[in-house]
Amino acid sequence: MSETTTLPPSPPDSSPGPGPGPRIGLIAALCAIGAVVFLGIAAVYAVRGNDDTATGADDNDGWHGTEVSPGLPRPDFTLTDTSGRPFDFAAQTKGRLTLLFFGYTHCPDVCPAHMSVLRGALEVPGTPKPLVVFVTTDPARDTGPALRKWLDQYDKDFIGLTGTPEQIAAAERAAKVAGSVRLPEDQSSGNSEYDVGHAAQIVAYTPDDLAHVVYPFGTRAADWAADLPRLLDEEWPQESAS
Amino acid sequence: MTWWCSASKEPWSWAFRAYPGIWIFTALLLVGYLLAFRRSPSAAGSEAAASDKRKRWAFLGGWALLWLSTDWPLGTLGSGYLATAHMTQYVLYTMAAAPLLMVGIPEWMARRALSKLRAYRTVTLVAKPLVAGIVFNVILVVTHAPITVDNLRTNQFGSFALDVAWLLSGLVLWLPVCGPLDELKPSLPARGVYLFLAAGLVPMVPGGFLTFSATPLYRVYELAPRVNGFEALDDQQTAGAIMKIGNLPLLWPVLAGIFIRWANQDRATPPPAKPRPASTSGT
Repeated sequence: MSETTTLPPSPPDSSPGPGPGPRIGLIAALCAIGAVVFLGIAAVYAVRGNDDTATGADDNDGWHGTEVSPGLPRPDFTLTDTSGRPFDFAAQTKGRLTLLFFGYTHCPDVCPAHMSVLRGALEVPGTPKPLVVFVTTDPARDTGPALRKWLDQYDKDFIGLTGTPEQIAAAERAAKVAGSVRLPEDQSSGNSEYDVGHAAQIVAYTPDDLAHVVYPFGTRAADWAADLPRLLDEEWPQESAS
Repeated sequence: MTWWCSASKEPWSWAFRAYPGIWIFTALLLVGYLLAFRRSPSAAGSEAAASDKRKRWAFLGGWALLWLSTDWPLGTLGSGYLATAHMTQYVLYTMAAAPLLMVGIPEWMARRALSKLRAYRTVTLVAKPLVAGIVFNVILVVTHAPITVDNLRTNQFGSFALDVAWLLSGLVLWLPVCGPLDELKPSLPARGVYLFLAAGLVPMVPGGFLTFSATPLYRVYELAPRVNGFEALDDQQTAGAIMKIGNLPLLWPVLAGIFIRWANQDRATPPPAKPRPASTSGT
């Protein structure tokens, strides 16, 4: 098939005079150098990517969370687990690496992201498996079975706890995290769904029964995979817990 | 107002989201093309006019794919929720929209535009298979590096830059294969080898990184609200698979077409004349 053209195929900018040739060459060279530099920086960051966190690991002794000094003591509270049995947090997690998180199953963002990230981290070969304890801040909707079903999406070994609002508030105080609060329903949307404001960090209790590092929202699977072995093995300085 | 798709912390929903910047960008592209077509030198009813008509349809197809892959819902999902959607967008940009847009540009339009922009030499340089292959793959690697995606996808201008870079890289990739200027195309076998290496082989490497990484590489997708419970690592591995094999549905048929044309060309070439034996005188 031949394609008719009415214009000659000569290079249109090949006219004599101060043409764009050298300028274009210079621009092309600069673009190429820019691309190479950018690629180099990108490569460096890509390699470092797994160490890069929302919390600035480099400024924090290499931890990917926020260091707490003195360490927070493992809190003493008893709630109800998803099978309806009482769960004494201090006694049943004593001496074990434990991650404590307050959230709720209808949470649209922070809670599923934290759980999903944790699940991903625990699938990394060589990562020690901590006890993960999820305390609901929405006991009205998060019944034992509902909590169990939601947690099972991430890991069947994750522990879910519920209780009365007063018991949960007491647990939050004991863990020294911000208290949760039920937010007003969005009347404009016409549904009765509501959100719950709650602490977004995961508190990591180490075998010495203290929490030396807390992990804010934004902590990634690679961060957990790097920190969990350290949390387990770290020799923490003896300090008096407040 | 959100002008261009970018990452947001809102949970995903199928509620429509409007992006006027995308509409303006795609409308300008189409209007510019159609206005340029009004100055077509092809006489009505001629073969050139019929060719122009086919090219218009090709361009419209490319334009529609470009719009669909940029706007809600794919653009929204790709900019802030799923690496899979991000990669689907990339493949649609570079392997579907770009070649159709390139095929849709008639030779006279390309010459006219290059003459006005005084860009013929630049295009000649970029159309060299080695240069085009490097440009395409450098943009591929840079725009899929975690630092680039995590930083650019979180704001509208960055997201726009990423989309434009993808479109340009796709156009550059296809320029030596189906560009409007025949003098810039290498021979058919060279075209096939170029396409196989530049678009088929090299993307396997970054695709492999995504597929085999033990943890999610992109912060923006790892921490995004989940869509239908699709886990971040599964999402990334699917994205890696799309990067590795998503180009095959177009690439292999095009490669087959190139080699069939080459074979036909070879067959049509008359064989070299055999030397006639010297005549001998009879007895």
